[in-house]
Parts: sequence; C-alpha cells; structure tokens
Amino acid sequence: MKENIVVSRNFKLVTLILTAIGVGTFIFGLLSNPQLTWANYLVVNYYFLSLAMGGVFFFVLQSISQSGWSSAFQRVSEAMMSYTAFAGILFLLLVFGVNDIYHWAHKEAVALDPLLQHKSPFLNVPFFVGRLIIYFILWIVLIRKLRSISLRGDMTDPADMDGILALFNKSELYSKIFIFILAITFSLAAFDWIMSVDPHWYSTIFALKNLAAAFLHGVSVLTLIVFILHKRGYFPFLNKYHTHDFARYIFMLSIVWGYFWFAQFMIIWYGNIPEETAYYFVRWKEGWKVLFFLEIILNWAIPFMILLPVKASRNRTAIVIVIICLIIGQYVDLYVQVIPGTTGLLRFGIVEAGLFLGFAGFFAFIVATTLSKAKLIPSNHPYLEESLEHRF
Amino acid sequence: MNKRFKIGIFDDEEKFLSSIRSLKEQKLSIHDVFTPYPVHEVFHLLKRKSRLPTAAYFFGLAGIIATLAFLYYTSVLDWPIVYGGKPFNSFPSFIVVTIVITIFTVTIASLALFSARSKLFPGRDNTIFDPRATDDKFIIVVESDGVELSASDTAGDIMKQLGAVEVMEKEFGNVNE
Repeated sequence: MKENIVVSRNFKLVTLILTAIGVGTFIFGLLSNPQLTWANYLVVNYYFLSLAMGGVFFFVLQSISQSGWSSAFQRVSEAMMSYTAFAGILFLLLVFGVNDIYHWAHKEAVALDPLLQHKSPFLNVPFFVGRLIIYFILWIVLIRKLRSISLRGDMTDPADMDGILALFNKSELYSKIFIFILAITFSLAAFDWIMSVDPHWYSTIFALKNLAAAFLHGVSVLTLIVFILHKRGYFPFLNKYHTHDFARYIFMLSIVWGYFWFAQFMIIWYGNIPEETAYYFVRWKEGWKVLFFLEIILNWAIPFMILLPVKASRNRTAIVIVIICLIIGQYVDLYVQVIPGTTGLLRFGIVEAGLFLGFAGFFAFIVATTLSKAKLIPSNHPYLEESLEHRF
Repeated sequence: MNKRFKIGIFDDEEKFLSSIRSLKEQKLSIHDVFTPYPVHEVFHLLKRKSRLPTAAYFFGLAGIIATLAFLYYTSVLDWPIVYGGKPFNSFPSFIVVTIVITIFTVTIASLALFSARSKLFPGRDNTIFDPRATDDKFIIVVESDGVELSASDTAGDIMKQLGAVEVMEKEFGNVNE
C-alpha cells in the first residue's frame, strides 16, 4: 500500500496554470465590468468554501458518530477542510467589492429605504467585515486543532493504546464543539453573503438549505477525490460496501437538500406575500426559469433516480455521473441565488468560466498538496481495521 | 407426516455465520434460519434474492400517480373551487399530500405482499422450532429427514464445533415450506 501521495509535476503545473487563468480573468473582469466580476467572484468563492465546509461536516459527523467505515478516508476530508484558510483570504478581498455586490452597502440607497434602515444595525459594512473575520478565525482555529490531533495520531507509538484512545476522544470532543459553532456561524455566513444580495427578501429556512447544499456537494466532491485516488492505486481496499456508503450519503443529502428547497419554495408560493414572492418572481422570468428547474433536476431528481437501485449505488460509474451533475448543480444553485439580485444579467461568458476554472485549479492544488503532506491513511486510527475490512 | 430436524442455537452472529458457511460447504440443506435482527450476509450465503424492493418501487409509483390523479380529479375536474387565488391545478401544494400517501401506500402494500408471499395470516399454525427463535438467539434448522444418519450427525457436529450453545434433534408434523 502506498503510504504517501506524490503530486506529479504535471498536475501542479496544470492547476497553477488554471489559477493563473483565474487571476487573469479576475483582473480583466475588474477592468471591464467590475459589478459582474465581483458577483461571479462571490459565486465561485462561496462555491469552493462550501466544498471545504462539506469536508468539515463529513469529518465532524464521522467523529461524533464514531463511524468506523470512513476512518481510512479521513485524510481526504482533512485536505478539503484545509482549503478554508485560503478561502478566508479570498473572502477578505470581497471587502473591496461590497459596493458592487450588495445593495445595502450603498449609503444613498439606505437613506431612501426604511426597510434597509431597519436592517442597517446588522447589515453595515464594518459589522459585515467583522463577522466575516470572526467566522474564519473560529473555523481556521478549530480546523487546525482537528488536523493537528489527527497528525499526532500518526506520531504515536502503535502500542500506546491509551494515547491513541485519548487522541480519538479529543478529536470527538472538538468535533462536537465544531458542529455547534459551524451550525451557527455557517447559517449566519449564508445569510450575510448570499441572502443579503436581496436585502428586502428573507427566508428562515435559507441557511438550512445552504448548509445541506454545502454538505451534499462537499461529500460528493470528497467521493470523487476518493474514486480518483483509487483509480491511481491509492485506496486498494475500496470495495463495493465503501462505495455504497458514499452513495448513501449523497442520496440522503440530496433528499434533504430537495426537501429544504421545496419547503422554502412552497411556503413562499402558497403564502403569496409580495415581499417574499418578489424573490421567485425574478427567477421565473424567461431564461431564469430554465435554470430554476435545472437546479432541482440536477441536485435532486437525477441523484434520486440514479441512486435508488442498490446496483447503481455500488457502481462507481453511475456515482461519478451523479457527482458531475451535482458539481454543475451547485454552480447553478448559487448562480440562481446570487446573480438576479446583483447584475440580473443571465450570461455565461469568459468571466464566469475563467473565474470558475481559476478557483477549481486553486482548490485542486491546495487539496492535493495538503494530501501529500501527511500519510494518506491515518495509520493509528482505532477504527482503521474496521474501515479496511468494511462490509455489511 | 413427521419430519426430523437438527436445530443449532447460537448466541453470537459470527459463530452463526461461520456455521452456515461450513454447512453450505458440506452441501447440507438448511431448512430455515432465525435471527433477532436482519443480517444481510445470511441473504448472500443462502443465495436468496428478494424482489420486494422492486415491488415497493412500483407501489410507490402507483401511489404517486393515483394520488396526483385523485387530487387533479377532485380539485380541477369535478369540483373546482378558487381558494387563496391559486390555480385549480396547484401542483406544489399537492406534493406534501402525495409524499405522505405514497409512503403509506408503499408501507401497507409491501406488508400485504410480504405476508401473502410468505403465507402469513392471523391464526396460521406455525411450527415453532424453538421458543428462543423469537428472542435474542440465532438459530439454524437443518433437515435431517431423508438424509443419511451420518450426514445428520455431521451437521450437529459442525454446529457444535463452531460454537453452538445447544444442538438438538426434534420431530415436527405439518411443517410449512
């Protein structure tokens, strides 16, 4: 069994070129159309942060439930988590784009608008930036803690059972703390960054929907990474039961996402209160309507129908098809949430594609280099044996 | 006609499974097994296949279609009423009812199909191989009628060797298939 990942030069080169393309597009976009660029910057930045948060979710949930099957794949979720620190820096850049993205950041707009005045104690630029920094500090501190506990497990003597168990319990404790903090901070973050694009509109289930979306897409990308590594010979023990468990995660979360999506939509549709329906009214106009339905088809209908039979849940090709749908689906989801409230222009051009490629390259680079820094399989994890021999 | 059976009682899942494995290797016919909770591996070992999930899928499909058709018929065709300014065919508000009725249909129909297929009905005279079958024990029942005496003894030996708490031979009349 290969212990460490070697990131090939070609992979590094390709991802860095993609990152350079992203940077180039960003500068080009800022010069040509700043509003459009900042809106798309928010979409893709949030996109990859949500994948990292999905990794966090996976990690803490597996530790809290003390599940054995996934312990060999722990390092993949850790690598995804580690992207959060970089996302934090990229999010800080957003401070310069606040005026271009958010309607509530305009002083003259607030002066004329009683509702924005009412919301201004929460929605103002200094507090917005302050909250952003607090979220990221909390996340980064806890992620570093979990990562260091996990790495210390590799250093411990395998015979020192008490020491290994103590680390395991410590990891579980911090996971418990983290899941509470994550539920609150990530909900607020979704309100801050995505929902405040439409400052007149509000939905109380919005944060839950975004939480479920982050978890769903994080786990699907994690599964994709595991499958790619397996194909390159790194997880030789990956069997159909592991595959089935990953598929169950995706299946379950896709239903949860669909449930929240529909709950939000149906309540607003049925209640028919003008200030709430305005949100969906914009998203039901011509071109947007296609994206609006594409969102639920890609994120719920296709995963649900494909993963329903047991045979498909154990077939890696079928799962990869689902994951590709979900990767596109999350982009469509965020695009539909952010763009109508900012530019309102339905288009997919150089700026959109370039920024997405740039962030994707950067994310892949960070995940791959973090994976290569430690042993791929946490060798002293108490449940490792169970994970290697997983069956049901 | 009375039939004779070797009955092995286990209190451990692993021992129970390894006994089934070696009984299969010896080509001894297992009449029935009882477990306190579903054990997936027994399915694979006894080469049993269940078509119940497929049936449940079609029950669900039928449930969805029937519920939506019924809602459409009542609120659009037969007695259209405007309420809340909604269109007659207010599809999103039908969904919640459809989900609930579909789950109900699948549950009841699968239960009925399962009972019919395994000939379970109130008042059925069931063979109780051992009262502990309904408790926390794992039980293997091997047919020893029509088998040579040595083979029947082998079955008992295998089970005993692999950790059965108790092995016994019993005779029953009117055993259901």
